[in-house]
Parts: sequence; structure tokens; C-alpha cells
Amino acid sequence: MTAVQVTGLSKEFVLRHNRAMGIKTKFLSLFHQSKRERRERFLALDDVSFRVAQGEALGLLGHNGSGKSTLLQIIAGILQPSAGTVTVNGRVAPLIQLGVGFNPELTGLENIFLNASLYGFLNREIKPMLEAIIDFSELSQFIDTPLKNYSSGMQMRLGFSVAVHLQPDILLADEILAVGDQDFQKKCHDRIAQMRADGMTLILVSHSPEQVERFCDQYIRLDHGRVVESGRMQPAPSPTALLG
Amino acid sequence: MGANSTASVGRYWRYRDLVRNLVIANIKVRYQGAALGFLWSLGNPLAMILLYDFVFTHVFRSNLPNYILYLIIGVLHYNLFAQSVSQGCDSLTGAASLAQKIYFPRILIPTASLAFTLVLWLVAILILVVLYPILGGVYHWGLVLYPLALVLYLSFIWGIVLSFSVLQVEYRDLKHLVEIGIMFLFWFTPIGYDIHVLKPHTQFLISLNPLTQFMDVFHALLYSATLPTVKNVLIVVAWTLASVAVGMLLFRAKARHLVEDL
Repeated sequence: MTAVQVTGLSKEFVLRHNRAMGIKTKFLSLFHQSKRERRERFLALDDVSFRVAQGEALGLLGHNGSGKSTLLQIIAGILQPSAGTVTVNGRVAPLIQLGVGFNPELTGLENIFLNASLYGFLNREIKPMLEAIIDFSELSQFIDTPLKNYSSGMQMRLGFSVAVHLQPDILLADEILAVGDQDFQKKCHDRIAQMRADGMTLILVSHSPEQVERFCDQYIRLDHGRVVESGRMQPAPSPTALLG
Repeated sequence: MGANSTASVGRYWRYRDLVRNLVIANIKVRYQGAALGFLWSLGNPLAMILLYDFVFTHVFRSNLPNYILYLIIGVLHYNLFAQSVSQGCDSLTGAASLAQKIYFPRILIPTASLAFTLVLWLVAILILVVLYPILGGVYHWGLVLYPLALVLYLSFIWGIVLSFSVLQVEYRDLKHLVEIGIMFLFWFTPIGYDIHVLKPHTQFLISLNPLTQFMDVFHALLYSATLPTVKNVLIVVAWTLASVAVGMLLFRAKARHLVEDL
């Protein structure tokens, strides 16, 4: 079964130089050439196609600005494609940033509910998972203190823990596999491998070919919005092998 | 269309706890550390009512019986409009970082902003509930229609909040203009005065203001202990439908590319 099918996908952004954000500037631009808005079209993704089968893991490689994150945002439904289609089968959890919507004034516990509801979960669906989420994050001691007292590593741990406990069918991860210290990182990697073994599809954006090699069985390299290279890892890593 | 909109309502319903959690978060953050906490949402309308009562009974004379009741009804309902619209304006621009990182129905952002204002307002309306019999309010069967009138009013406001939140993304001056507009609109709505004391052509102008029509409904039900006229109700329904239609159309047209402009 296909989890994600991307066909002929293009995304064009309009860069608006001197964009008139206010009425004054809009008015001035009627008389001053220099204040006029210049529009420049910028092709962030150019005719990208690929297919990820259910349970597979795809690595997206490329330099800064090559279109990796834009591609992820389109698959997540955050941005609309300019041309082409994206078909997604299953529940997608974008992990573009850990702990989206976290509010520093609220406690860790309150933030768990807030964060999960952004993924479309009801509070009563989260309650049975609370213990597992808090245990995994290793933050039970601090869970009812405001998030502003957490270190950034602790916040990421909580965000990661919520995300992985929501049991997504497809996980879209943007450079998030460096959470916390060494021990916690290992725990995260094991957890992702476990979820992969259970049939989760993974799309991983990364700078690092080693990381992609470790987690993914196929990869795509993007450059200036085009697919310049793609292939399968040889030999494909078996997800269970990573558990050891 | 039918099946399509049922599906999208179902999709929004799935996210109902998001609205709830956002509202709770806003309330917690707003009243954190304030000793009186939630009660502060009473402070502002109470101060306003005292001020206007002073102005309208001692500076400009009003002949309305039970004048304070008349005034409280107007001020409270106008406040709901003013605060919702002013807050709703930058609800989308304020949620930019959220919207860029995860997909959820965008319409829930301005809706949660309205819900937040509504919750605070429901506390403020306690003033009216407590003082109602003391100030000369009459309990009559027409009062059961009040929730219906309130739902219409909220829908009308929701339509405006949707429109303004979307327009604010493109025209960042909007909020400043809206705040001035809200100040002016107060005096162009019969809140502190009776519309019938005005000259006929001024009366006509004031009655073009949709809020005047809503105030007439609220004053009829809560102040005069009568039912609003049929004409009055029809105008109110028409304004509500127009506002919701414009709001939803604008939102639909812009929502797809909203994130790129935030």
C-alpha cells in the first residue's frame, strides 16, 4: 500500500520585495517608483515525484534552501502545491518543530494537552496516554511546573514524547533526531525504530547522509527544488536490527 | 456541497478540544499572578458603566426610566462586539508561528479568539444577572428568547471577526483603523441615549448601523419587557446572514495561501 504519493509537485513562491504592509506604503507606491512592490517568482520545488510505500522510510537530503522543508510542509498540508498532487494515506504527524504551540506560562501537563490537540486529539483520548508520555520524557518531577522553568532540552524531550505517543501512521520529521543528551537520543532512536517495526512510515529531512543511512531505506537528494539523485540504501536496514 | 460541508464540519468537530485548550491557556496566561484573577473581567465594564451613568445623568440629562438598566444592557453588549472584533483582528497574524508548523483548520484561530472573549464576557454579564431585578428588570416569558438573540449576535460578530482576521494579514493597518472605528461606533449606537430623542434624519442614519438593530432587540427583551418587532428581527437576521456569508467567503478564498503571507 502506498503511504505517500507525490506526483509532478511544484511550488512557486512569490517573493514580494518592498512589500507594502500598510496603507501608507501602498499609497506612496502610487507615486514613487522605488517604493513600488517588485514581485519575483521563485520555484522552491520543481516537478518532484516519488512514492513511499507503507512502512518504508524516505530520507530527504539537500543543502539549505533546496526545498526539503517546503516539501515536508506540503505533505503535512500546511502549504498548498502550485502544481501536481500529493496523496497521503493515513494520519500524518508533522514534526517540523518539537512542541508546537507550547506556551511557556503553562505547566508541562497543560502543554501536553495543548500540543496534542493541535494534532487533532481530544483531551479524553490523551488522558490514558499521559503516564506513558510523562515517563518517556523523564520529566515527572517537573510536570506541574510552568514550561518557562524548563531547559530547552527538557522542552524538546516533552515535545518529542508527545509526538511519538500519538501513534501516527506517517511521521514527517525535520531534523529533530538530536533531542537531549546521548542517552535520551538513543532512547528516541530506539523508539522510532520500534515504531518503524510496527509499520509506521517515516519521511526524514536531514543534512546528514549518515543519519539517513541509519534510518531510511530509500533517499532523495534535492537541489534547487529538483530531484537530482534518488536511490535505495544497500542493504536496506531492517528496523529491528536497530533495536539492539 | 451538502456532503462536502458535512465532512468539513466533522473535521472541525474533531478539533474541538483545540479551541477549548487555547481558550483555557489564554485565560490562565492573562490572569496569572493577578490576585483577583478572573474577577478583573468585571472591572472594565463596571468602571465604564459608572462613568457613563455619571455622564448621562449629571452632564447630559436622560429621561429614560430605569436608566442604569438601559445603559448596562447597551454597554455590556457593545463591549462584547468591541472586544471580540479588536482581538479577532490580529488573531491570525498572532498565530503565525503555529500555522507554519502544523496543519489544523485555520478557521479555528479566529473562532478560538472569539470564544476567549465570550468566556470573559459571560463573567461580566453576571453584573447584569445580579442587578437585573434591583434595577427594574422584569422577568417575563420573552426572556427565553434572549439566548437565541445572543446566538444571532455572536454569529454576526463571528462573521466580522473572520473577515477582519483575514484582511489584517494583508493590511496591517486594519487593527488601528478598527480601534478608532469601535470608538466612533459606540456613539452611533443607542447605548447611552434613546434613539427617539434624535431628529428624524439622524434616527435614520443611526438605524443603518447593524448594532442599533441588535441593541433594539436586547433593549426590547431585557429593558422594555416586550418582544422585538418583526421588522427588527428580520433586519437582524439579514445582517447576521450577510456577515457570516462575507466572513466565510473571504476566509475560504484566502485560507489556502494564508500561511505564505503570515
